[in-house]
Amino acid sequence: MSHQLSRRRLLQLATASAAGLGLAACGDNGSGNAGGDGDSGRIVVWSWTTAAEGLRSVVPSFERDNPGIKVDVQDVGNPAIWDKITVGLASGGKGLADVLHIGVDYLPSYLDKFPDGIADLSEFGADKYQDAFAKGLWPTVIGTDKAAHALPWEVNPLGLFYRHDHFEKAGVDPDGISDWNGMTTAGSKILDATGVRLLGLDKTGATQDMDFFQNLMQLQDAFYFDRAGRITLASPAAVKALTIIKRLNDAGLIADTAGQGTEKRLLGQGKLATYAEAAWAVEYLASTFPEQKGKWRSMQPPAAVPRGKRNAIVNSTYLAVAGSSTRRRAAWRFIEYALTQPAQINRMFASGGVFPALDAAYDDPRFSAPHPFYGGQKVLKPFVESLSAPARASNFTGDYARALKFASDAQSQVLIKGADPADALRKAAEQLAQQTGRKLAA
Amino acid sequence: MSLAPSEHAPAAAPAGRGTIDQTGRTRTGRRRLLTPTSVPYLLIMPAVLGFAIFKAYPIVASLWISLTTGNGADRHFTGLDNYQRLLHDPLFWTALKNTALILVVQVPLMLGLALLVALGLNSTKVWLRPLWRLGVFVPSLTGLVAAGVMFSVILNRDAGLLNWVLSLFGIDRVNWLGSPFWARIGVVLVITWHYTGYNAVIYLAGLQGIPQELYEAAKVDGAGPIRRFVSITVPQLRPILLLTVVLSTIGTLQLFDEPYVLTGGGPDNSTLTVTMYLYNNGFKYFDFGYASALAYALALIVAVLGLLQVRLMGERK
Repeated sequence: MSHQLSRRRLLQLATASAAGLGLAACGDNGSGNAGGDGDSGRIVVWSWTTAAEGLRSVVPSFERDNPGIKVDVQDVGNPAIWDKITVGLASGGKGLADVLHIGVDYLPSYLDKFPDGIADLSEFGADKYQDAFAKGLWPTVIGTDKAAHALPWEVNPLGLFYRHDHFEKAGVDPDGISDWNGMTTAGSKILDATGVRLLGLDKTGATQDMDFFQNLMQLQDAFYFDRAGRITLASPAAVKALTIIKRLNDAGLIADTAGQGTEKRLLGQGKLATYAEAAWAVEYLASTFPEQKGKWRSMQPPAAVPRGKRNAIVNSTYLAVAGSSTRRRAAWRFIEYALTQPAQINRMFASGGVFPALDAAYDDPRFSAPHPFYGGQKVLKPFVESLSAPARASNFTGDYARALKFASDAQSQVLIKGADPADALRKAAEQLAQQTGRKLAA
Repeated sequence: MSLAPSEHAPAAAPAGRGTIDQTGRTRTGRRRLLTPTSVPYLLIMPAVLGFAIFKAYPIVASLWISLTTGNGADRHFTGLDNYQRLLHDPLFWTALKNTALILVVQVPLMLGLALLVALGLNSTKVWLRPLWRLGVFVPSLTGLVAAGVMFSVILNRDAGLLNWVLSLFGIDRVNWLGSPFWARIGVVLVITWHYTGYNAVIYLAGLQGIPQELYEAAKVDGAGPIRRFVSITVPQLRPILLLTVVLSTIGTLQLFDEPYVLTGGGPDNSTLTVTMYLYNNGFKYFDFGYASALAYALALIVAVLGLLQVRLMGERK
């Protein structure tokens, strides 16, 4: 018998291999259903920066309490994690970790565009926790199949951090400010007295950081979409929000933070009097600018309209299980362990600064303790209290990324070209409707 | 005296194998795998397989996806709908216009500058030539994202280095990244900084390949420096010029990293490029059908422009 390959045989083998590869590639239906409910083995978790540190702090006790499961927490980085998850979901779940840390701005898109990409956690009993988290969060984990697809980890109630020393030098009493009209007047006084601008914004829209605009809408219980998914980007609340920003800009109170790290640099140089951010910034400011100890304080955000509400949930993040995971049950056990026990979630809060969404976590004394960086102010308490007030979760929908783009364009047009807020937002809403096929709200 | 069998008869073939003649065919009529003709094919097979799996398959798959719409695996054939949508999408035309503008301004500017730099580096009158050559080439070793980040810091209006330098001369701060006009200039600046040295090195190699006898003969005939440049240098560099023009055109049409990091396509979409729009549609909006249609439209534009350039510049001998 000959042991040498003939050319014909070689061609046959090559064709068969290529066909096999092709079929392997084409045969993947992208459904993500290739996973399994393994209850043991090594599970991989994808998260980013300090949140990953927080998750790692839970791993030793979890592994001790769950023999047979090993956890590998990987810091993928933000925003790199979104591309990695997207590519993984688009290729049917290949290469994805078992547990994914996902923000509220991406979760609805993933559930919408990759229906089987994120595992159904209701199957594992997730529904019993629906009243355990901050108000308004549970609807955001529900997919179109009415099942829960994640557990909330982080909730971000809005606050306004301010430089106590600048306010004092300008003779401004923060307790006397209740809305953004008052804050604009105060900002001018601070600018005159100290030369410091009130806040920073990426005017060019290079990073599409629209948090401030969104916050002003969220303070009015408004967002880009209503609960039915119709477009509300040109609503009176949106116009009001952009008008406030235009007034601040026209008064010279906004510093341009375009460019990598500019805002951080301006904060470090003490050139911004306020920082309109959510609860996660409590530890961010303290750890990033330790030399500014004692100079910062926090207050409830001013209302967007006179006598309007002063609390809002900015955003939230979640832990979900990839539909393609072969160890979905083990992954669920880790999520349940980390996110539903006050002791564990507060350990992560202490380690990574992620503000917990679990209601029971707030009984811990740390949430009412004075903070030395904030001059001994009980800085976390107002954030917790704001969560007990009625709050409406924003409907991010699967088209949030497009909405963000058009909103950012509108804001840039107003700040750079002096466009009229109502006109700019109307055009943005129409473009969004044309690109997504969604209806404009009346 | 009889001759030894080995001196006359061909060597006996090992059991089960035929002998191989010069065409690779055995005496039994079967072809062998390892022959002088087949070995080159075997050697290139890994590359061909790699191309088939990682290039050809995605290209074909992308064409199919561009003709469909839907979520995840649930895709429906919609024919040319995505291409029709593209024709009526103002953002696509804005991105194309921006890309064309950068192409028309930046490529000639950069290649002209690169040629000047190469002429300087080629001159025997320049001191420490290796050091200058290194200095010119170093920017192209910088990562594209790193270059974008670096210039975003340099060009910042309030805290940037460039405005600080300008202020030393009493010049008002320029809103480099905040005005549509200056943002485009900023992008042109980054690309020019990054690629001029790369092209200069290619030109330098071309210049050093031109026979000195041509210049000496021209000098004898009384030709001045400009005449020598126009009549000898440029014609001799024609293939190199064509190469750099085509490569730079393709590179500019596929421009992504620098404006992505520097301006994110802003302000008001003034630096949005086609590839950035493609990326947004694919990886931000998960609209893979439309993103694939954009990719094919871009490939078509690249192909047409490339062919045109080869026709215009390459035919003359």
